[in-house]
Amino acid sequence: MVNENLVKDVVKEPYKYGFVTDIETEKISKGLNEDIIRLISQKKEEPQYLLDFRLKAFKKWQKMDEPDWAGLGYEQIDYQDIIYYSAPKQKEKISSLDEVDPKLLETFDKLGIPLTEQKKLTNVAVDAVFDSVSIATTFREELAEHGVIFCSISEAVKNHSNLIEKYLGTVVPASDNYFAALNSAVFSDGSFVYIPKGVTCPMDLSSYFRINSGDSGQFERTLIIAEESSSVSYLEGCTAPMFDTNTLHAAVVELIALDDASIKYSTVQNWYAGDEEGVGGIFNFVTKRGKCLGKRSKISWSQVETGSSITWKYPSCLLLGEESVGEFYSVALTNNLQQADTGTKMIHIGPKTKSTIVSKGISAGNSINSYRGLVKMGTKAAGSRNYSQCDSMLIGDQASANTFPYIKSQQPNSEIEHEASTCRISEDQLFYLQSRGIEFEEAVSMMVSGFCRDVFNQLPMEFAAEADKLLALKLEGSVG
Amino acid sequence: MEIIEKIKTNQLINNQTEIQKICLHKLQSSPIPNPKSELWRLSNKSKFSNFLNYSVNEKNSKFDIPYPENSQNSIRLIIGENCKIKFIKENYSIQQLSEDELNKYIKDQIACFDQNENWSDLLNLSLSSKKNFLGLKINGSKIPPIEIFSHASSNSLNAKTLVIILEKNCDIELLQVNLGKENSSLSQSTFFVLEENSSVNHGVVSYGKNKSNLINSLNVIQEKNSSYNLGSLHFKFNYARFEIRIKQSAGNAKTNIKGMQITKKDEQISTYTKIEFNGPNGFLDQINKSLADDKSHAIFEGSIIVPKIAQKTDASQLSRNLLLSNYAQIDTKPQLEIIADDVKCKHGATIAQLNEEELFYMRTRGITLLEASKLQLSSYFQEIISFIPVSKDKWDLLDKLLNEN
Repeated sequence: MVNENLVKDVVKEPYKYGFVTDIETEKISKGLNEDIIRLISQKKEEPQYLLDFRLKAFKKWQKMDEPDWAGLGYEQIDYQDIIYYSAPKQKEKISSLDEVDPKLLETFDKLGIPLTEQKKLTNVAVDAVFDSVSIATTFREELAEHGVIFCSISEAVKNHSNLIEKYLGTVVPASDNYFAALNSAVFSDGSFVYIPKGVTCPMDLSSYFRINSGDSGQFERTLIIAEESSSVSYLEGCTAPMFDTNTLHAAVVELIALDDASIKYSTVQNWYAGDEEGVGGIFNFVTKRGKCLGKRSKISWSQVETGSSITWKYPSCLLLGEESVGEFYSVALTNNLQQADTGTKMIHIGPKTKSTIVSKGISAGNSINSYRGLVKMGTKAAGSRNYSQCDSMLIGDQASANTFPYIKSQQPNSEIEHEASTCRISEDQLFYLQSRGIEFEEAVSMMVSGFCRDVFNQLPMEFAAEADKLLALKLEGSVG
Repeated sequence: MEIIEKIKTNQLINNQTEIQKICLHKLQSSPIPNPKSELWRLSNKSKFSNFLNYSVNEKNSKFDIPYPENSQNSIRLIIGENCKIKFIKENYSIQQLSEDELNKYIKDQIACFDQNENWSDLLNLSLSSKKNFLGLKINGSKIPPIEIFSHASSNSLNAKTLVIILEKNCDIELLQVNLGKENSSLSQSTFFVLEENSSVNHGVVSYGKNKSNLINSLNVIQEKNSSYNLGSLHFKFNYARFEIRIKQSAGNAKTNIKGMQITKKDEQISTYTKIEFNGPNGFLDQINKSLADDKSHAIFEGSIIVPKIAQKTDASQLSRNLLLSNYAQIDTKPQLEIIADDVKCKHGATIAQLNEEELFYMRTRGITLLEASKLQLSSYFQEIISFIPVSKDKWDLLDKLLNEN
């Protein structure tokens, strides 16, 4: 019999990113109304069209109801009790990293994020977002040489207004859903990436999101545009301090791929998940969607979801262009009282489009881990294919693993295949490994890692190593 | 609310039974099912309101049984026509449940009803009069095959209810045939209890004519060591719903389900299944096939629920779908909800059209495209039809499916 306690211990690794940076911040008062939105817009010196966009979204949001179909159990969120803008106080304009508050740099250093440009060896450009603002973006000059624009979205509004006006809200419209509308009304910062025609981005781009204040929500917005025949790999990481209150994180990510372009978007999400009793933690309600507009374009989502007390996230692909490709690779690990309702939507609109879904869910403790996905073949999607695979692993007899695939086809000349299975860590395999002298915990972590291999193989190398380690840490003590 | 008024005015003329009163009262708080719920989300609203549009009728018109009486001594029952049923033979007995027994059983069931999930049963029970209510208690061995018919009359909404309690160690073959007339609606609810060590081969064949509608609800409770095999076929309905709820009350039971629905023209046929394991060592093997042609819409939604108590459950569910036309659509949603960790659960779903390579192969052998597609379809249908008891030898369902339009 597998020793339950041992497994539990494996999962009990404390959250190491839970520190708070003591830094002077500028916060606006709590609450949400038109004046607050005007204030945010004014602080960011935004043009009129953006303010209109925000106000329109806010009006729509007011008329919408919070979705309850996912059956997530959480206390009602008081949207008037949230600070919608919080920024570390710093000098007006930063021309180089030397002017960034050393405390901030120290924070990102502690998190292992290379902001100082000496760490060029890592060859990853980083946009670091602290609460509501982007504090630094590295490697900008190198990227600019290739014509790649990589900056915070506030800067993009100022310097590349035409692109923002053209593309913002075209993939995730303001009225898309409750949380997307909220984000459209109050979004603070995020990253903007533009890859010009024919350019393969010379390095991986990455953004790092850090929530520092306990009472402010984070509403970032990311927009990535890949022009014809360009390609980019983008990484996203997130952490937050430990607070015993819940913090709301409602982000929107929009990707646009034109003819022959390819975007790879990888996430390692490690927001604070709350303690063992489920106190505190981040509510992670995120709308991520990519539009394969061009022919033969490709959007690939890969994600490792280990944090947040509640995750509500369905990175999707709209496959419009002929022969466009959508991919979704996901590992979601829940422990203690975490709830994750995650999956994807693959909407096949154009002909000969293809999509692949590989989802691995691991539930331990008293957590709930659900895969919810939609695959839809439109009437014009002739010759399209989809393959989905959802596997769940249960650790302990208190955790729950659910699978809700919605499959809809209106095109006879298309194929959809879906399969799902549920398993546990097999005693035989554990026994075999242990009999070969492998420690119990290592054996468990090897098996979990093997279970997730299909997804880890899709992650960029730095991330794959991090994800593997993260899972091992998270699971420490939970298998037994 | 219209439907409630209709039932009320109709019932005022006759004597309302206690059950009808209870259900009508419950129905008043939710006169129509919640259109946002997963169970009703995809249901065609105009077709559904058309279902309710016919006048409530308790009288049964004569109908033609679709195939001749078996030479073997099968037992044939028609709901609404048989007044007294009592077969007491050496080996077995089939008796009607007394009114008290029936009332008690149904009341217990109603107590566990979920207003939305069991909406179809509530409608059925508030419409179904004493005459159209058949309750049977079966025990013994070597029981001949049983056939039970339900049918609707033209231009009316009929409700038929069937309760079967299969006592311990009993083994039966049962074929239920639901027939729709032109422009008719039939509400059929079946409640089945399988006591310990009993076993059933249950066939449900429902087919209609032009513009017939059906809501067919099947509730099964399986006690320990029981085995329940269901083969079902629904076709030729303008609008049909088949709701299956199976509960393995203490686990250790076996369930096999093979179902198929075929939609043509602008028909909509949907199957909803919910299988709950309330004890360990349960077994389920389910396959549901759909075929959608013309402008029709086929829906399948199956959920498997495995709570913590249901360790060592082995459940698999497969949804296979054929989409034959550019204007037809198929929705399928096989779902798993699992808490127990020592289980084997899997599900799969596919949507495709006829296999082109196989068609090509046959055509190179001189078989016409039409014949080749029929051959492929017949193998697709045959898996399900061969699972339907009693009828399969004498009633050419396959021919009906392939050759009738």
